[in-house]
Amino acid sequence: MKMLKSGMAAFAAAVMWVGVAQAQEPIRIGFAVAESGWMNAYDGPPLKAALLKIEEINAAGGLLGRKIETVIADTKTEREQAAKAGTELVQKGVDLLVISADYDFGAPAGLAAQRAGLPAFSLGAADPKMGVQGVGNLVFTANGAAQVEGIDMAEWAFKRKGIRNPYVLEDQSIEYSKSGCAGFRSAWKKLSPDHPIAGSDVFKNDDPSIAAQITRIKSTSPAPDAIYMCSFTPGGASVTRQLRAAGIDVPILANVGMTDDYWLGAVPNLSNFYVPTFMSIFGDDPRPELNVFLDKFTKKYGARPESAYSVLGYSLIEQWAKAVERAKSTDAKAVVAELEAFKDEPLTVGPTSYSKDLHIQVNRPLLVMEVQGGKHRSLEVWRNEIIPSTQLLFRIGE
Amino acid sequence: MQVLIDAASTGSLYALVALAIGLVFGVMRLINFVQGDYITIGAYALIVPSAAATPTLFIGLWPVPLAIGGIMLIVVLVALATERAAFRPLRQTDPSTLLISSFALSFLFQQTMMLVYNSRPKSVDFGSSLAAAVAIGDLRVPGIQLVTMATAAICGLALILFLRRTSLGIEMRAAAEDFGMAQLLGVRANRVIALAFAISGALGAVSALLIVVQTGTLDYRMGVMPVIYGFFATVIGGMGSLAGAALGGFLVGAASQLLQAWLPGDLRPFRDAFVFGLVILVLLVRPEGIARSRAARERV
Repeated sequence: MKMLKSGMAAFAAAVMWVGVAQAQEPIRIGFAVAESGWMNAYDGPPLKAALLKIEEINAAGGLLGRKIETVIADTKTEREQAAKAGTELVQKGVDLLVISADYDFGAPAGLAAQRAGLPAFSLGAADPKMGVQGVGNLVFTANGAAQVEGIDMAEWAFKRKGIRNPYVLEDQSIEYSKSGCAGFRSAWKKLSPDHPIAGSDVFKNDDPSIAAQITRIKSTSPAPDAIYMCSFTPGGASVTRQLRAAGIDVPILANVGMTDDYWLGAVPNLSNFYVPTFMSIFGDDPRPELNVFLDKFTKKYGARPESAYSVLGYSLIEQWAKAVERAKSTDAKAVVAELEAFKDEPLTVGPTSYSKDLHIQVNRPLLVMEVQGGKHRSLEVWRNEIIPSTQLLFRIGE
Repeated sequence: MQVLIDAASTGSLYALVALAIGLVFGVMRLINFVQGDYITIGAYALIVPSAAATPTLFIGLWPVPLAIGGIMLIVVLVALATERAAFRPLRQTDPSTLLISSFALSFLFQQTMMLVYNSRPKSVDFGSSLAAAVAIGDLRVPGIQLVTMATAAICGLALILFLRRTSLGIEMRAAAEDFGMAQLLGVRANRVIALAFAISGALGAVSALLIVVQTGTLDYRMGVMPVIYGFFATVIGGMGSLAGAALGGFLVGAASQLLQAWLPGDLRPFRDAFVFGLVILVLLVRPEGIARSRAARERV
C-alpha cells in the first residue's frame, strides 16, 4: 500500500514535470533546403533572412513563450535527398518544415511533411502546385504565382508606359518562365482586345545564340515598341546582351527571375530595362518596412542580401508565427486554418492572402524597378487588377 | 541573308567544338566529354576565383592579346593534365573505360567549379565592343558573329596546314589512320596524343572566349550543350574525320538556327528535337557519316 502511494506520488510528479517541460519545450522549425548543389544559390538568401526573423522572435521572448529552435538538413539539390531530408526532419519532430524554393526540388520534402500531417512552406516556389492541388493541403509557398509577374508587367507597360505593340520572347526551359509569359499574354488580351501582341518567339536558357530570334524581331512590322522577356539568369542576361548588341533598344520588360544587379555585367550600361521584384536591395524601396529589413539583414550578415528573393524567407517565418500566435498552438490544422483566413495580412513583403484553394499569392503587389545606365531605381509598387483564373494558374487555359 | 549569317556563325562555333572532339577521337578513339569543361574553365579563368555574386574580372582585364594567350595557356595546361592523369593510364583499356573516365572527370570538374565559384551564373563584361552591331549594307550584324566565323575559318585552316605541312602533323594523321601501325613506324604515341589534347584545349579556350563575348555569361554547365552538339557533329561528320567533324559542326549549328528561323511558331519549342531528328536521318542515309575516314572503315 505504501509502495502504491509513493508510486502514485511519483507518477503525479512525473505528469507535472512533463506539463512544465511542454510549456518550455522549444518550437522546432526544420529546414529541408539546399545547402549545397546549384539550388543553394537560390535557397541560401531566403534561408538567411528566415534565420534572421527567427533570431528576432527569440530575442523578443519567443513564440507563445517558447524559444524557436532550428534544424537544417541538406537536400544537396537532389530530389531523392530532399525526400530523405524531409522525412528525417519530420521524424525529429518539427512543428514546421521549410522546403526548397522550387516546386521540383521542394515537393519531395513537402510530401514528407504532408504525409506526417505537418505544415510545410516553400521558400519561394512560384508554382501553384506547391499547395492544395499539388503537394497537399498543408503545403504553402511564400512566393506569388509566376503568372502574376507577367500580368503586372502587361498592366504596368500598357497603363504607365503607353506600350501598345509588345513582342513576347519566351524561355521554354522551365515552367516558371513559361508561366510568366502565359500571364503576360492573357493579360494583354484583356487590356488590348483589338490589338494583339506584335509577335512572339521562343528560346532555351542555354542557347548560346538567339540570332534567328533577333532577326525575326527585326523583320516584324510594325516594329515592336517593347519586348516582354520571361526568363531567368543566365539565359535572360545573355538574351538581353544579344538584343542590345543587335541594336534593339526598345524597352525590355522582364519577370522577377531577372531581379537585382548581379547579372548586369553581361550588359554594360544597360538602359530601358524594367523588372518587377519583391523589394529593392539598393535601399530606395518606397516602402519603409522593406528598408528596415534591408538594414537588419545587412547588419547581421555584413552585406546586403544577394537577391530580393531573401525577403520571402523573412516573411515566411513572419506569417507562420502570426498564424501560430492566433491559433495559440503549433497544431497543423489550427495554424493552416489561421493562414487560410489571411486577407491582405500586412507582412513585410506586402499584403498577403490565402484561401482554402490557394496557398500562393495571386494579388500581392510587386515593386517595378527600372535599369538606366546600368543603375537600378525603384519606380512604383504595382498591384495587378487582373486576377489570374484557375485555368491560367494551372496553365490549362486562360 | 541575315538568317544565313546567323546560321553560319552558330555553325562556325559548333564546328570549333566538333574539331576539338574529332581531333582527340582521331588519335585516341575517345569521345572526350571533358571538352565542355575546358570551355567552362576557359571562361571562368577570366574572373577572380570567388563565390561572390558579382564577379571581378582578372585575366579579363589584361590587354586583349595577353588575355587570349593567358586563357589558352591555362586551358591547354588543364587539357594536358587531364590527359596525363585520367586518360594515359587507361590507354590500353577498353574505349568504354576511357569514356567513363571522361564522364567522371567532367562531373568532377563541374562540382569543383560549383564549389569554388558558386552555382549562381555570373555575368561578365568581356569584349562588349566586339558584341556591338556592325553595319554591312543595310544589314546590322553583331560583330561577334563575324569574329566567330573568321576565327573558325582561321583555326580550321591553321589546323589543316599543321596536319599537312609539319612533321608532327603528319605523325598525328598517321596515328589517326592506324595507331598501332604508326607506333610501329616510330611515331611517339605520348607526344602525339598530348599534342592532340593541347590543341583541343586551345580550341576549347577559343570557343569559351567566343561564347563569353556573345552571351556575357558564365555558368558551370555552360560547356555541356556545345559538347553535345559537337559530339553529334562528329558522329554525322564521320567519326575520325576532321574535315567531317568541322562540316558536321557547321551543319548542326546552322540547322538549329535555320529551324529556329523557319519552323512555324507552334513547332519552334521542339527545335532541338528536329535538329536531332535530322542527325538520325543523316545517319540512316549515311551510317558512316558524311565523310568517313579510312581508319574507321577498317574497323567496321
